[in-house]
Amino acid sequence: MAIAREHWATKIGLVLALSGNAIGLGNFLRFPRQAALNGGGAYLIPYFVCLLVIGIPLMWVELSIGRMGGRHGRGHTAGMFELLWRHPLAKYVGALGLFIPFVVGSYYVFVESWCLAYSFFSLTGSYFGLGSMAEVGHFLAGFQGVEKNQHFASLLPAYCFFVVSLGLNVLILLGGIARGIERMALWLMPMLFVLAIVLMVRVLTLDPPPGAGPDQTVLAGLGFVWNPDFSAIANPKVWLDAAGQILFTLGVGWGIIHTYASYMRPDDDVALVGLTTTSLDEFVEVVLGGTIALTSAVVFFGVAQAQQIAAQGSFDLGFHAMPLVMEQMPAGRLFGALWFLLLFFAGITSSVAMLQPTIALLREDFGFTAKRAVWLTGALMFVCAQPVLFFIGHGFLDQLDFWAGSFAFLLFAFLEIVIFTRIFGMTRGWAEITHGATLRIPRIFHFVIAWVMPLAMGAILVLWSATNLLPALSLDAVKEADRPYVIGARLLMVAVLVAFWVAVRAGSRRRAARGDSA
Amino acid sequence: MTLAGWIFLALAWSFVSGLAGYCVFRTLRDE
Repeated sequence: MAIAREHWATKIGLVLALSGNAIGLGNFLRFPRQAALNGGGAYLIPYFVCLLVIGIPLMWVELSIGRMGGRHGRGHTAGMFELLWRHPLAKYVGALGLFIPFVVGSYYVFVESWCLAYSFFSLTGSYFGLGSMAEVGHFLAGFQGVEKNQHFASLLPAYCFFVVSLGLNVLILLGGIARGIERMALWLMPMLFVLAIVLMVRVLTLDPPPGAGPDQTVLAGLGFVWNPDFSAIANPKVWLDAAGQILFTLGVGWGIIHTYASYMRPDDDVALVGLTTTSLDEFVEVVLGGTIALTSAVVFFGVAQAQQIAAQGSFDLGFHAMPLVMEQMPAGRLFGALWFLLLFFAGITSSVAMLQPTIALLREDFGFTAKRAVWLTGALMFVCAQPVLFFIGHGFLDQLDFWAGSFAFLLFAFLEIVIFTRIFGMTRGWAEITHGATLRIPRIFHFVIAWVMPLAMGAILVLWSATNLLPALSLDAVKEADRPYVIGARLLMVAVLVAFWVAVRAGSRRRAARGDSA
Repeated sequence: MTLAGWIFLALAWSFVSGLAGYCVFRTLRDE
């Protein structure tokens, strides 16, 4: 017998939950780096083109697949793909939408716990007094257990913050959809907006530090992110980065949006919900995320050093540069605590979404009660996260991030759009997208979804793979001592994927046995 | 910050703020 399906209590609750999934650390740390390194304001041209022809249409496609799945009592992509494609392979392709959020969640919760920890460290002033990026780096390495130093003797503090973060995720999910995830979104998302706006105002009113150079001003910081370099538009890599950023920031291609959409009512408006989610994410990314981190880095370090920080990576910006910025900022302990709390809110509203597809699988296909499904999913994620916690210094996290957090989601998004447009068919697909829409979707998007998106996603997958896949497959660039860990990370991912394949096969058979086949 | 930088900032901020404001208004109105 099918279980009674939960629904979102309010539209704004659904929108905020979906926005919470989309708005993550990348909005504040990845986007400003991407813009500054890829042509400044000119980067926004490929960025918004990709938003219009890939991001927004894919959001509509995933919401419509999810809402349709919900009508048939299916809350995960393996079950939904059986509705789109009546073929035994469909569920195995759809299982990628379970695999990706689970694997990414197993390290994302750990990263999110750093934000909670650093919020606490800001209040207590633990890292205040460290005078250089290298010293802050040692502080982080000690916290992560990569090295023992005067700051941390073991991994224990990081482990405790991880357990607290995962526990909070489980606690929220135990409340279910309306009383757990939706209630969290209704509280945390407005707080996230307020925190980000407070920090943006603080950054925009910063005075240059004593002895600052002429380029250490707020205007120079804004110029660093926004001054356009039009030659960048001719570079295919900039377009690829822009497309990747759009897919990454909206959280499409992960299997999460489908699951959230499955709790919509059959006539709920996919068009407006999708556009509102997208626009809120873009507001946070372009206006707030584009202003806070790199602008403040320019004020305290100057343009040349900010350029180096941006080139090093998002983690370096977030956990090496920003603590130093907070050290120098007036009332830095308070603003440091707020900054990392903001990142924690952005993180936890995304990570609860990563656990939900597995919970849906356990509930719908295996008859688990809601509580048992949440506890088991939390326990499985706890187990899978252990090697991430203990082997982070050996590149374990990077492997999961590369294969599940980059390659698999590009592959899944491509397969999804091909199945939706070519097998399910655009006639039925367009009817699904526009059903119940109070916002009229221009007809041009029919063409965009049918032709532009499959070609664009195919090109992105091929170009990205050509650039990144072969070097990653080879272990030549991996240090000898790290190779067992890298291989271990890959074996773990294979084991998780096979486990999901076995589970969705069993689930499909159980559904068929009770007369609920596609 | 160059004039072109200001123009890109103003256009991008106006676009995303206007779109987000309109969509949130429509969502709350339809609630």
